[in-house]
Parts: sequence; C-alpha cells; structure tokens
Amino acid sequence: MSEAAPVLATKSLVSGYERDLPIVRGVDMAVGAGEFVVLLGPNGAGKSTLVKTIAGLVPVHSGTVTLGSREITALPAHLKVRHGLAFVPQTENIFASLTIHENLQVAANILPRERRAERIGAQYAMFPDLAARPGQRAGALSGGQRQMLAVARALIVEPSVLILDEPSAGLSPKIVGDVFERLSEINRQGVTTILVEQNVRAALAIGSRALILVEGRIAHEGSAAALLDDPIVAELYLGARQAGGAAA
Amino acid sequence: MTLQILVDGLIAGAMIGLGAVGITLTYSILRFANFAHGELISWGAYLALAVSSGIGFLSASLTVPLAPFSFGWSLPLGTLVAIALTALLALIVDAVLFGPLRRRRGAVIILVMASFGAALTLRSLLEFIFTSGPRYFTQELQIAIRLGGGARATPDQMLVIAVAALVVVGVHLLLTRSSIGRSMRAVSENQQLAGVAGIDVRAVVRIVWILGAALACIAGVMAGLLVQIRPQMGLDLLLPLFAAAILGGIGSVPGAMLAGLIVGIGEALTVRYVGAEWRAALSFVVLVAILLVRPQGLFGKADR
Ligand SMILES: Nc1ncnc2c1ncn2[C@@H]1O[C@H](COP(=O)(O)OP(=O)(O)O)[C@@H](O)[C@H]1O
Ligand SMILES: [Mg+2]
Repeated sequence: MSEAAPVLATKSLVSGYERDLPIVRGVDMAVGAGEFVVLLGPNGAGKSTLVKTIAGLVPVHSGTVTLGSREITALPAHLKVRHGLAFVPQTENIFASLTIHENLQVAANILPRERRAERIGAQYAMFPDLAARPGQRAGALSGGQRQMLAVARALIVEPSVLILDEPSAGLSPKIVGDVFERLSEINRQGVTTILVEQNVRAALAIGSRALILVEGRIAHEGSAAALLDDPIVAELYLGARQAGGAAA
Repeated sequence: MTLQILVDGLIAGAMIGLGAVGITLTYSILRFANFAHGELISWGAYLALAVSSGIGFLSASLTVPLAPFSFGWSLPLGTLVAIALTALLALIVDAVLFGPLRRRRGAVIILVMASFGAALTLRSLLEFIFTSGPRYFTQELQIAIRLGGGARATPDQMLVIAVAALVVVGVHLLLTRSSIGRSMRAVSENQQLAGVAGIDVRAVVRIVWILGAALACIAGVMAGLLVQIRPQMGLDLLLPLFAAAILGGIGSVPGAMLAGLIVGIGEALTVRYVGAEWRAALSFVVLVAILLVRPQGLFGKADR
C-alpha cells in the first residue's frame, strides 16, 4: 500500500444487483497515486461487480467509495467521470453503431468546448490505428482496435484513475502484449491504473501490486513479485491458470 | 385518377411519417412501444386548437386567413405554444408513470401496459374537456389547385407535405450531426456505457420525450387541419404509425418517413381498389408482413 493518501479507496464496500444478494461483500482497498494495481481472482469472484460498483453501475448496499478527498459512493456514473474516474467495461465497451470519431466526440462532450478537439487529437496521436480511419463504424473494428478505442474513449477526459475490466479477453497474445504495453505507458504518464485480469502471469508482469478477490472479499494482497512466490497463492490461483496463461 | 391516388397517399403519408418518426425515436431510446403516443398527437391538436382560439379571441386580426391557406397567424402561433405544452404533458406522464417504473427496472411489458393505461386516461380526459364531437381549426373552404395529370391538392395539403419534409430533415440532421443527437444514439445503443462515457442518461431521456411530443403535436395539428380534430384521432393513427416505424426500421428517421409515405400510398390504393372499409387493414397487413419477412425493417440493423 502506498504511503501517501490513496487516490481511490473503498471502505467495507458491499454491493450487488439485488438488494438481498450481495456480490461484493466488504471490500477495503486503497490505491495510491500513480500505482498500477492488478485485480485477480477466479471466475465469478465479483471482480467485474466490484469495478462496476466503483464506476457507479451497480447499487451500493453499504460502505463507501472515495476518490481523492471526495466521497463518490452514491454518484451516478456520468458524474464520476467528471471527477476523474474513467472506466472501461469488460464487454460492449464501445458504441458499435457510432463511428470511431463519434465515440471520441461523445466522451469529449463533458469537456469545455475549446478543449475537445485537442483531447481527441491527443488520442489519435497515441493510437494511430484509430487516426487512420476516424469515419469507420466502431462495430467493424477488430478486437484489438476495439480495446484501443475503448481505452482512448476513457482517456479523453484525462482521468486521474483508469479502471479496465479484462481488456485482454479474446485477444491474440501479440495484441494482448500491445494493449498491455500501452497501459504501462499510460500509467507511466501518471494515470493511476486498476486492471482486472484473468491472465495472471501477464498481469503480474506489468502491475506493481495485486489484489486477489475471492467470493466478494479480498483474500490476498501483495506486491506482484511476492504473490508469484507465495506457494498458497500460486497453488490456488496461479497454478490452475498457468496453462491458460501460457496459451494466451 | 391514378396520380390523384399518389397525391392523396403522399399527403396522408407525410402525416403518418411524422408521427412514426416520433414513435421510432422514443422506442429506440426508451426501449418500449409507447401506445400513448397517439394521445400525444390528439392532445397536441386540441392544445393547438385551444391556444389558437384563445389568440383569435384576443386579436381577431390574427384569424384572418393567410392566403392561399385556410388559417391565420393564430394557428402557427398556437402550434408553437402547443408544442411546448405537449412536451410538458409528456414529461409529466414520464415523471409520474414511466420514470418510477424504469427505476424499479420493470419489465418492458409493464411499461407497455402502463402506456395503454396512460392512453386511456389521456383520451378520456380529452373527451371530458372537449366532448367527443369533431372540431376544426378553420371553417374556410379551400380551392384545390391543379397539379397537372388530373391531380389536385389544396394549399393546406401542400403545406403539410412541405412542413413534414422540413421537420424530418431537421430531425435527421439533429440526430446525425449534433452532439445531442450523438448522445441520443449512444444512449439508444447502451445506457450503461453512455453513463460511463459521461452522458446524463436521464437528461437525454427528457430530451427524447420533448422531441417525440413536439413531433406528435405537429402531426396532430396536420391531421386536424386536413381532416378534423377528435379525441379518437390519435388512436386511429396508432396502427399506421407503428406499421411505418417498424417498416422503416426502429431508430431510423429517414426509414420512418419513407415507410410513412409507403403506408399512406398503400392506404390510398386500398381505398381506391379494395374499399374504404379496408383502409385500416392495410397497416395491419404491412405490420404482419414486415415482422415475418424482415423484422429489422427497411433501414434497421439486423443485429438489434
Ligand atoms: N448483471 C448481473 N445481474 C445479476 N447478477 C450478476 C450480474 N452480473 C454478474 N452477476 C453475478 O455476480 C457474480 C459475480 O460476477 P462477476 O462480478 O462478473 O465476476 P467476475 O468478474 O469476477 O468473473 C456472479 O455470481 C454472477 O452470476
Ligand atoms: Mg468479469
């Protein structure tokens, strides 16, 4: 955990889709400025639910979410973005019926008018693949290009925290490498990053710290290196997935 | 004679198309078939009647017909006010009825049933306030103009076609070129992602109601001008409107307009060659046929 006050923190966070069915069951986490944290855990552990709760898409039952010094627990998703929290969902994370340029314009709309073109231009500079075909319908993009567009869309507003839910799902190993390379680059530019991943080894290789979520609670937490060496963790969560990790 | 059928069909079709554009917009963003849209049309017409009569009462000079049309300034002015009032009515219905149901994540069928209830209530209110007898914006008689080929149309009818064309082009440009249009398309595709992208989904929903109600009001004034104003007018239009919205492909503004013209011309042909009592059946046949053959409509995307 970082020494300085965390940029993003949750306290005893309980949330879920229905009132009497908590999926996230008391999560305390704190992410320091500039950190790259990986969120791991078995399928169905509640990783997506946790990050969707933080982003304002799943009702909070109890507990709090704070961003910087501000409590944002109950804010609707569109206001959280304005406070610097950007989220890339696991699936359907681009507007397929809009063009690449329109996807970026939609996201830029909350910026002051005079900064929109500049911020869209910055994304095109960072993702030349997108700049090459601004008028193309996003639904026609390849898997890797879609993820790039989803990340570009999230970065438009210059967020302080970027949360990504399994951006590598369904991508070829080479493309996953590309995407992860971009994410480290973005993190190095100062954007605090939280990455949900199934691909454990690849994730631990780029993240500085990892949280392992099991049945809606944080079961293990530590530096990426320490988790890789931890025999219990390795056996429980990494061993089973090693084959998958190698294949991906 | 055949050309006249085409002209009659175009006039009815312009009206149907405009109403269908309202249906297609609200359907694609609110995700339910709003059967109270017909009542927004009737209320739009009656509100325009009430306000324009009021204006005429205050200043008789505003009722003097604007040659060659059959109505004076009181009607266009009254329509502008009625558009605002119809939008307000739609927002109120959404705030007290549909909004709470949406927040409770009610099933689509519940929203549809609620819209039936709203339609019934709104229609009964009209009958209560205005009685069920027909009303007219104007009693002036109009001379039809020869269009060539034996076809004729009144200046009012030609105005309706022109206004419908202008409004549809305007809505299409709004949807495809403006930032509010982009936000509407984004919300229509994926509400959660729209929120994450910074769009205030509830604000967009309000704008869609305002736009849908404005289009309904304009369609109602047109129907009132060309035919008559009755509490049932919206109900009678409902089937053709849905037939056109679905034929055009839900969410497609040009599709709804084109399909409206097709339904209008289809109705005119039915009246001429089958019999006037079969007019309403045409929409039903179109609706069943399109749902069987191409459910996504002419311009709809197959993946939705
Ligand atoms: N939209 C939803 N509505 C209801 N339950 C859901 C929804 N999405 C996920 N769940 C349930 O929440 C639990 C955790 O799912 P999820 O957060 O997607 O896990 P993970 O991302 O770790 O695989 C699962 O039991 C899943 O069935
Ligand atoms: Mg998940």
